[in-house]
Amino acid sequence: MKLIDEKEPLLLKRAVRGDEQAFLALYQKHQGPLYRYALRMTGSPWAAEEVIQEVFLLLIREPQKFRPDRGELGAFLFGVTRNRVMKHLERLPRERSLDEINANGTAWREPEDPLTPMMIAEKSERIEQVREAVLDLPAEFREAVVLCELEEMSYEEAARRCGCPVGTIRSRLHRGRALLLAKLELLRDAPRRASAGAR
Amino acid sequence: MMKCEEFERFGLDMDRADAQPQEAAAAAEHVSACPGCAALLESWRELKQDLRVLNETTRLQSAPTRVEMRLKQELRTRREARVPRRTVTLASWALSAAAVLAAAIGWMHWHGGVAAPTNTASSGPAQIAETSSNRAAESILLAADYDSGDFTQLPGTMPTASSDESILEARVQRGALMQFGLPVAPEQATEWVDVDFLVGEDGQPLAVRLHQDSQTEAATQ
Repeated sequence: MKLIDEKEPLLLKRAVRGDEQAFLALYQKHQGPLYRYALRMTGSPWAAEEVIQEVFLLLIREPQKFRPDRGELGAFLFGVTRNRVMKHLERLPRERSLDEINANGTAWREPEDPLTPMMIAEKSERIEQVREAVLDLPAEFREAVVLCELEEMSYEEAARRCGCPVGTIRSRLHRGRALLLAKLELLRDAPRRASAGAR
Repeated sequence: MMKCEEFERFGLDMDRADAQPQEAAAAAEHVSACPGCAALLESWRELKQDLRVLNETTRLQSAPTRVEMRLKQELRTRREARVPRRTVTLASWALSAAAVLAAAIGWMHWHGGVAAPTNTASSGPAQIAETSSNRAAESILLAADYDSGDFTQLPGTMPTASSDESILEARVQRGALMQFGLPVAPEQATEWVDVDFLVGEDGQPLAVRLHQDSQTEAATQ
């Protein structure tokens, strides 16, 4: 039986007793989505890295904080990650530019695309604008956009993750979308109904 | 019929998989008749496409390997920190047990030293060993660290330089010494002699010597 198939509380018990393989099975299963969430929320690979490290260090040092009777390990880890991200955002309102993300080469990877160099450049620029616009959103709206639009979670799932009602998520998403549209249409100098939802 | 405000609020959900069918139908109906909301929907769809591309470009991102290495290091450090603690615990138990044992042996030696002597004979090595261990009344423990130069090493034992040996005085029949592998003339087997046994820390006799008066007495006989 593969380690990954074992129940997570059992894996966690083994990990806490020092079983490196059990810990790695848990880490490899959860780190990716948590890291992407942290990166999309903070816009900083360094901050996301720090957050992920803190989350799993907590799991090693204080495993008793996870209560299997209260939910799954994934939900617990997401909750811890979310708290850390929010604290980071409170502490450091986005100081790092997206150029820094690209400079270290970890955040941006151009997909293979049969377009002309000019079209590729335009597309890259547009995606960069979208990324900028998402990172400029207030944290609550950004989170709704990240979860519901980037990670394409259902409203119910996003609401569960954020610990709020579905209506709140929909409301935040509505505001987030409107702000995104307004910013991007202004940036692209092609206002259609840029201010419609942002009113 | 959905109004523009309602469309702005809920209409952009019409493409979502979890959109409510009635809401989606009303939004579609509205957008077909409202150019402004149709433009908004078109803008949103373009943006949604860009968001998908953004998602695709970051879909496989994961934490750098150095995070995993740091976490593994933490795990190892904690594991190593736990091992000495366990060893220390075991060692403290072992030391405690050794201290208790040493105290018990010391007390038994002391107790044996002040016990009243009797001169009842013992007739074999088993009895001698028993005597040395429980300080039976038929023998006298004289002293430790006694000069063992006059002793005759018993067959099957090794000379030791240990300071934990004791000397045990006993009165036995000569024949009993045969059981330690010592030669005894058959005609003297029933004679009573005073002997000193050099007893190791495990209670087993290592060497023996006859008392001077016994040797003299034997010589005169």
